[in-house]
Amino acid sequence: MNLHANQDGLRARVVNASMTAAPASPVPTKPSATVKRARPPALRYLVLPGQIVSVAVLVVPLLVALYMSFTDWTPTRGSLFNASFIGLDNYSDLLIYDSRFVEAVVRTILISVVCLALEFTIGLGLAVLFLREFRGKAVFFSALLTPMMILPVVVGYTFWMLFQSNGPLNQIIALFVGGAATPEWFRSAPLAVVTVIVTEVWHWTPLFFLILLSGLNAVPENPVRAAIILGASPRQVFWRVILPMLKPVIVVAFVIRAMEVIKLFDEVFMLTRGGPGSSTETISLYIYKLAFNDFQLAYGAAAAFIVLIGTLVLINLMLLPIREQLLKERR
Amino acid sequence: MTAPKLQLVDLKKEFSDGSVAAVDGIDLTVAGGETVALLGPSGCGKSTTLNMIVGLEAPSSGDILIDGRSVIDIPAGRRDVGLVFQDYAVFTSMSVRENLAFGLKVRRVKKPAIVRAVGEVAELLGLTGILDASARDLGGSELQRVAIGRTLVTRPSILLLDEPLSNLEAAARLAMRKELRRLQKEIGLTIIYVTHDQIEALSLADRIAVMNAGKIKQVEKASLICQQPDNLFVAGFMGSPPMNLLRGKLVRNGAGLAFAKDGFSFDLPSGTTPGEGHERLPAVLGVRPEDIRLASTGEGLMAARVVLVEPRGSDAVLTVESGPQTMKVIVPSLGRPEEGAEVGLSIDPSSLVLFSGESDRRLPLFAEDMS
Amino acid sequence: MPARPLTPIMAILLVVALVVTLFPVFWIVMTAIKPPTDWNAAPAIWVPANPTLVNFRTLFDPNAIREYGVGGVSQSATASVFGSILASVVSTFFSILIGLFAAIGLSRYAGGSKVTPLIILSGRMFPPAAIAVPFVIIFSATNIIDTYGGLIAIYVAATLPFSTWMLKSFVDDLPREIEEAEMIDGRSRLMAHVTVTVPLVRGGLFATALFIFILNWSEFMFALVLSYGRISTIPVQLAKYVTATAGTLYGVQAALAVLAMIPLVLAGFAIQSHLARGMTFGAIKR
Repeated sequence: MNLHANQDGLRARVVNASMTAAPASPVPTKPSATVKRARPPALRYLVLPGQIVSVAVLVVPLLVALYMSFTDWTPTRGSLFNASFIGLDNYSDLLIYDSRFVEAVVRTILISVVCLALEFTIGLGLAVLFLREFRGKAVFFSALLTPMMILPVVVGYTFWMLFQSNGPLNQIIALFVGGAATPEWFRSAPLAVVTVIVTEVWHWTPLFFLILLSGLNAVPENPVRAAIILGASPRQVFWRVILPMLKPVIVVAFVIRAMEVIKLFDEVFMLTRGGPGSSTETISLYIYKLAFNDFQLAYGAAAAFIVLIGTLVLINLMLLPIREQLLKERR
Repeated sequence: MTAPKLQLVDLKKEFSDGSVAAVDGIDLTVAGGETVALLGPSGCGKSTTLNMIVGLEAPSSGDILIDGRSVIDIPAGRRDVGLVFQDYAVFTSMSVRENLAFGLKVRRVKKPAIVRAVGEVAELLGLTGILDASARDLGGSELQRVAIGRTLVTRPSILLLDEPLSNLEAAARLAMRKELRRLQKEIGLTIIYVTHDQIEALSLADRIAVMNAGKIKQVEKASLICQQPDNLFVAGFMGSPPMNLLRGKLVRNGAGLAFAKDGFSFDLPSGTTPGEGHERLPAVLGVRPEDIRLASTGEGLMAARVVLVEPRGSDAVLTVESGPQTMKVIVPSLGRPEEGAEVGLSIDPSSLVLFSGESDRRLPLFAEDMS
Repeated sequence: MPARPLTPIMAILLVVALVVTLFPVFWIVMTAIKPPTDWNAAPAIWVPANPTLVNFRTLFDPNAIREYGVGGVSQSATASVFGSILASVVSTFFSILIGLFAAIGLSRYAGGSKVTPLIILSGRMFPPAAIAVPFVIIFSATNIIDTYGGLIAIYVAATLPFSTWMLKSFVDDLPREIEEAEMIDGRSRLMAHVTVTVPLVRGGLFATALFIFILNWSEFMFALVLSYGRISTIPVQLAKYVTATAGTLYGVQAALAVLAMIPLVLAGFAIQSHLARGMTFGAIKR
């Protein structure tokens, strides 16, 4: 008797529950409720074309290059598969015996460091300037951003023109030191390096300017006000409060540019072709020479992978200051 | 006679486009060691006033005196005034210790003095355990203590707070209230804070300055302001629920005066002299919800019907209608009537407040009120 | 706090910055309109007395070029202009198309693994000169070397991470509920995205497209390495004019440079508000 009653009661409760349960679809009472439903895997295929292209056109050649770097292949040997496997010989040759490679690496790093330092400093200065109010600000802003929108090849060409011995730069210098003392920019190794640095800094300072200005505008007002109330001078507020808040922005800007400046090719190609001699030869230029002048393809591939690994390590080091913040955001 | 700690003299802040003034001529005197709340709805000018006291904004006219000296020309960092923001605005790139030390570091105080001061304040606010924690990792009430501590390290004589309790949960609010009271006693701080929340004002302040539309409507001791509102705005603002306000007229009723509204008439107690009053003066009668009782017999009995019951735990707020008149009544929860019930309302005449319908000011109801 | 005005020193610095920024552009434009007699003047002429557009015409006139022909440079620039337009536009189109759907897929469905940004970043760290090598090999073997198809394929693949990542940041900004509403009304998921998501990101789509276009238009290395006579792009042509002639073709070179610059400067202005997002691959939004 009791059992039946219980069962009926149970059944009644189950029936009631199912009748009053919220319908499984269509009208969502809370949007978040529908999102938590399992997403149909069907539309994962959207990513597929992208993945196919990436694999076919990027990953496959990369793997080919990787394999190649462990062989001694040159085109004269016919098919790639005829080449003999020599393990890490290419790599060790590059790092230990190839002084030109090592020089190219050191040179590229030095040029990169100088360029980044200059771009950051000038960019920051401009950004601070733009925190003020003045007429025509928008026009100035657009104008100052122009350099980074110009093709690297054209930038290289332009500065090649400007640094010509009879070019405008030397004419201006002549006003100060007299016509005979004007430098021959492309004849002297250190001067040629300077032309590369000037070109690169002109080209990309606007990016630092843009990023830093965005960052500065995003700094919250109240901590700044609090610092002022606590007695800080404007300079102290800038260095102690504002700049630390810009750290993530600054690091991102540096990382982005570092990755690109290490691969410096187009501008140098147009300016000096790596010369005089090999005094402005960046890593990319050296690899280009190895691959397309000397046809040392396997060797060049190995050099490229060394650069890839080196850059990866470098970038990770550069990201250390904001590692904590990045991890927090990923959660 | 020593000068008061803070004096605001006809302080005004106008917008450059000449529209309504944010602060429209306020006068306020704050004694040392007092806690004063600036209470008012959004946009009443209380935050602007705070900004002017600390120096973030310059007044359009008027003066601000601290210890008797005008500080209008003294920049924000040097007025001996500290400000704690509503969002605390702690320096997230620094540790708690560095936050606390900031005010002294930028004044180039020597390290040992900084260490000592930071230690004292940390002890005072219970921050000693987290001195080396990064400001990014702190919770709400910890952040607030850091924000307060950061200001205290520079030993201001006046501490300003913007909505100090609004971002805290109930338990934390209680704790912070105790904390601020203790600070005031131990250091003798003068505290001025801004809030839109009456409870926050009533629970923490010695005196409350009620503000609206850029003006101070009334400054009064916290314990008295609900009982003795000076004008209609304060009467209708303070209290939860606020005073019932009935608009009508004063008329002669035999020998005495009566308050008349839409055929409803209430004899004012004998001996009432409304001061400014004459017959047919537009007037507003104020009755506090807690001063209306449900009764079946008694003086001033009114018939009414309950249209809404809002329970509040130990008591309940009834919305009653008596003829065209709607009022709110507070009754104990136990034995409260249902919605739709017919009840009788009894009002103690001595609890009545009368306001002039023209000037909005309170009219003295009894001879003793005239001062 | 209201912003303060510039101090006199600041104003001077600003003007100096402006001059330094715009002078090179000014110089190139002036050189482009110099008549041939002014080209090799020493010291170089700043503003030609008789500006002319003849250089631009010379660019497209094979006979005129031949007259200057030094070291085998007798090509007019027509082919390269055509090539640049073709390669840039087509590859931008496909990059955006594929990238858009990948972006929607990543944003709405796959959540994006933590490895993805790392992969994209590492892709940018590899020196192009080296990765060009396997391409040369593979393309030669499959006979698509020196064809626009091959070049376009590379451009699409190279810019795909960018377009995906940038578009993803735009799609992420849209609340999911908008599409969900469409889907509930009975549309298939794909159609919901096409009719709802795509129009809503069209601002970001436009900006990304222009940004990718800028990248493709500027690309030099791959075009250089993969072109053997049948295909050409403007950067390659410019390099040929410069390196092969050792400077005798100043005006014509400059004219080509100016032509190359114009679309980019225009595109740059059009997407100025999105530049921060684009240049940092979506890391920083304005």
